[in-house]
Amino acid sequence: MSDKDHGHSHKAAPMVEEVSDFEILEIAVRELAIEKGLFSAEDHRSWTEYIHTLGPLPAARLVAKAWLDEDYKKLCIEDGVEASKAVGVDWIEGMPTKFGTPSDYCNLRVLADTPKLKHVVVCTLCSCYPRPILGQSPEWYRTPNYRRRLVRWPRSVLSEFGLQLDDDVEVRVADSNQKTRYIVMPTRPEGTEGWTEDQLAEIVTRDCLIGVAVPKPGVTSNATRPVRKALKPVPHDH
Amino acid sequence: MSKPNYDRTHHAKMATGIGDPQCFAGKAGEPKFKVGDRVRVKDLPDLFYTRTMVYTRGAEATVVRLVYESPPAENEAWDNTDDVEWFYSIVFKQSDLWPEYNNTYEADTLETEVSERWLEKA
Repeated sequence: MSDKDHGHSHKAAPMVEEVSDFEILEIAVRELAIEKGLFSAEDHRSWTEYIHTLGPLPAARLVAKAWLDEDYKKLCIEDGVEASKAVGVDWIEGMPTKFGTPSDYCNLRVLADTPKLKHVVVCTLCSCYPRPILGQSPEWYRTPNYRRRLVRWPRSVLSEFGLQLDDDVEVRVADSNQKTRYIVMPTRPEGTEGWTEDQLAEIVTRDCLIGVAVPKPGVTSNATRPVRKALKPVPHDH
Repeated sequence: MSKPNYDRTHHAKMATGIGDPQCFAGKAGEPKFKVGDRVRVKDLPDLFYTRTMVYTRGAEATVVRLVYESPPAENEAWDNTDDVEWFYSIVFKQSDLWPEYNNTYEADTLETEVSERWLEKA
């Protein structure tokens, strides 16, 4: 041992400390597919870029239109894929692959709430989410905590999101683990009489479309939410 | 013995411009159940892969919608698209799934999809 080796290595620390098995698997399969010529690295990059341009605005527009047009609402409930075209989302031709992707099949169902029925969506299998019309799912939607608890204790989980429902409201959890993707069409809130489609679309936020919130006049995705301070805050060191 | 020639893009060829599950429409024959039927989820073996959640096994539900035709996930996971089945959206009472579910909320329900092979008449 020379003087320079004083008990630790001078190699640079890795930039990423931990890569999960699934990340390694994804990279391996992707690189094999590229080597085999199924798609190119450029295809993969441009699809990824495309996917990240998507967001929940078309679905908010769909709900707002349905609130104003009873016939369109019926179409939404009957054929979500067809109804999506009116808000600029083509589940089949619009995707870069032209057939959807294995994680986004072309079968959308719009779950219409009533004053006595509240839908909320989860995928206990993994993270099925209507990406063509909602964009990428929020991080919490993919956590095991949300997925395993929502099916079993939906009211507790909803109250953690700040949504308290009356006892006589039927809470219906939609577990999307096959080829159907769901969005929730909440009921139109009071205080929105005479509103335009643009105004209505603004209050239908992403969480309303997943079902963990309900639309309220004045609460848009841009609005600042009130933060209630913890009564007994837990100190932490980061 | 000749080496089998697998076409890894056959799914894309089948579904392009049509969509999945739309590309399997009309291939499942007559559906065994109709809307309103009471059904029970069978507790079949699920080696390797399934999408039928364990918490639904053995529980009774009501068929609310015939959703589409598709190969069952257990086959499709291995690229076997030969046996196309009807898929049903079924609704359970939460109290039939979770014995401890609070009976204040007797009306609460859960909706999910299963393929025909998983269902029997209740």
